[in-house]
Amino acid sequence: MIKRVGFIGLGAMGRPMALNILRGGFGLSVYARRPEAAEPLLKAGAGWCRTPAQLAGETDIFITMITSTADVERVTFGVDGLIEGAKPGSVLVDMSTISPAKTRDIARRLAEKGVEMLDAPVSGGEIGAKEATLSIMVGGDDDTLARVMPVLSCLGKNIVRVGPSGAGQVTKACNQLVLLVAIQALAEAFTFARASGVDLGKLSEALSGGMAGSRILEVLGKRMIERQYQNGIEARLHYKDIQLVLEEAANLGLALPGAALVTQLFNALIGRGKGREDSSQLIEIVEGISFARSG
Amino acid sequence: MIGTIGFIGLGIMGRPMALNLLQGGFPLRVSSRRRERAEPLEAAGAVYCPSPREAAAGSDIIFTMVSDTKDVEEVILGKEGAVHGTRPGSVIVDMSTISPQATVEIEKELARRGIEMLDAPVSGGETGAIGGTLSIMVGGKEETFGRVKPLFDLLGKKIVHIGKSGAGQVAKACNQIIITMGIYGVAEAYILAGKNGLDPAKTREALLGGFAASRILEFHGKRMLDRDFRPGFRARLHQKDLGIVVDSAHKLGLALPGVALGSQLVNALVGGGDGELDCSALIKVLERLNP
Repeated sequence: MIKRVGFIGLGAMGRPMALNILRGGFGLSVYARRPEAAEPLLKAGAGWCRTPAQLAGETDIFITMITSTADVERVTFGVDGLIEGAKPGSVLVDMSTISPAKTRDIARRLAEKGVEMLDAPVSGGEIGAKEATLSIMVGGDDDTLARVMPVLSCLGKNIVRVGPSGAGQVTKACNQLVLLVAIQALAEAFTFARASGVDLGKLSEALSGGMAGSRILEVLGKRMIERQYQNGIEARLHYKDIQLVLEEAANLGLALPGAALVTQLFNALIGRGKGREDSSQLIEIVEGISFARSG
Repeated sequence: MIGTIGFIGLGIMGRPMALNLLQGGFPLRVSSRRRERAEPLEAAGAVYCPSPREAAAGSDIIFTMVSDTKDVEEVILGKEGAVHGTRPGSVIVDMSTISPQATVEIEKELARRGIEMLDAPVSGGETGAIGGTLSIMVGGKEETFGRVKPLFDLLGKKIVHIGKSGAGQVAKACNQIIITMGIYGVAEAYILAGKNGLDPAKTREALLGGFAASRILEFHGKRMLDRDFRPGFRARLHQKDLGIVVDSAHKLGLALPGVALGSQLVNALVGGGDGELDCSALIKVLERLNP
């Protein structure tokens, strides 16, 4: 029986997710690098922990939702890390998007102390986090997932156990690979259409009915047409994810030429200082290869 | 005045380089992770030291020639690293191929302790190391370069001081970009020629007379023709070097699509179990694409 859940990382994704766990009737302990990020949760009844170790000591399940592989390693094994407070039988559910290989390492090291781990990265963005409609891709033991299912059910709808430890992160990497290559394809198609004098609105309408129809076309296509890049998914986060894909490809000895190419275009986008704007802006880079745009 | 020299890292490249310094008449203190690597040098009069720290102690110029960025950090700044034995005013010369950004960081750390550093990666492979005919690309202070130049002359022929700290590593990254794409271009040309029923040897001969003539077409092109993929420059090391290029592009926010594609094919080459072959074996990956 789960009584109290711990949550580490209260950013744009983590905060609404933690709130949904609280609303689901679980006791909640939180920790964040910046204590002010916790305020709305403390008001809603969560307890503050000064360190990850303290948080692990008072909870049965602890969730991490932070930015990078190094962050997850630090929170878990660093000074005052989770491992210093965790009780045998407790579970770390890492919902961050990090390296599959490192995930397996972390799970192995935790297992030595009797602590279980699931990798459970998500797809669905801020909206999905707020509305508790995230897709959750889980790697780890079936039994462990069954134990934490009541908590994950507060966060998402489509919860799939894909395989053993690391499989969730592999799935997320595949998700990002499909997504980013599709963004590039769309940017190229739109550049081609514009150069040929075809109206992009009409083009989208036509494409959406056929095999090329997709969420990317629907959501990012609109932003590309309107050249509105302020809201959406920050390119630097996609960029970080595709780096994980390439790192893993090198480890596995795989050629993923599409992923490598789109990464280079993201390099150019980030290099122009656009990392905090939406990834649909990739179209500006693709256009810029062929046409010098004024201003 | 150069008295004693330290040399850390006695692999395929490091060992013949250290030997050339010894034969130049300089007392030499060597260190290597594996003791047996030092034996031929000890026989020639070098002093074996169990740690980089000890190899650096009493040396005026200390060379490092190891595999990657982490290794350089370890042998210079690690617990038993050279920095702990190096006197202020001495020079550490890193001839490994590593990250330019990391190089600048190491140089800063050494400068705080009054130790000079040059980055001096090489091109020319094992043959160049044995024959003392390497190309050496140097980054660091002009004055420091002047001090070490007599030793560089024992190791290589084409020795260029390119700019400040890190510049040597950037030049080496540029070298790897051109080599990668050169090999890739030759391999694609052979595929096209072969599928059209041309004799690749004749094609190569013809091309060597024109604007496509290059060292790559000459040497790697020959290896591909002869299916002689004995290294040379091993594919797995090439993969490591391309990692440095791709990482630099990432850090600087640059799109370098060609090298990114090339590095994926090298991934596939290494992943196929051919990491110990010469990098000209890249043609095998293109053959798999075009069976």
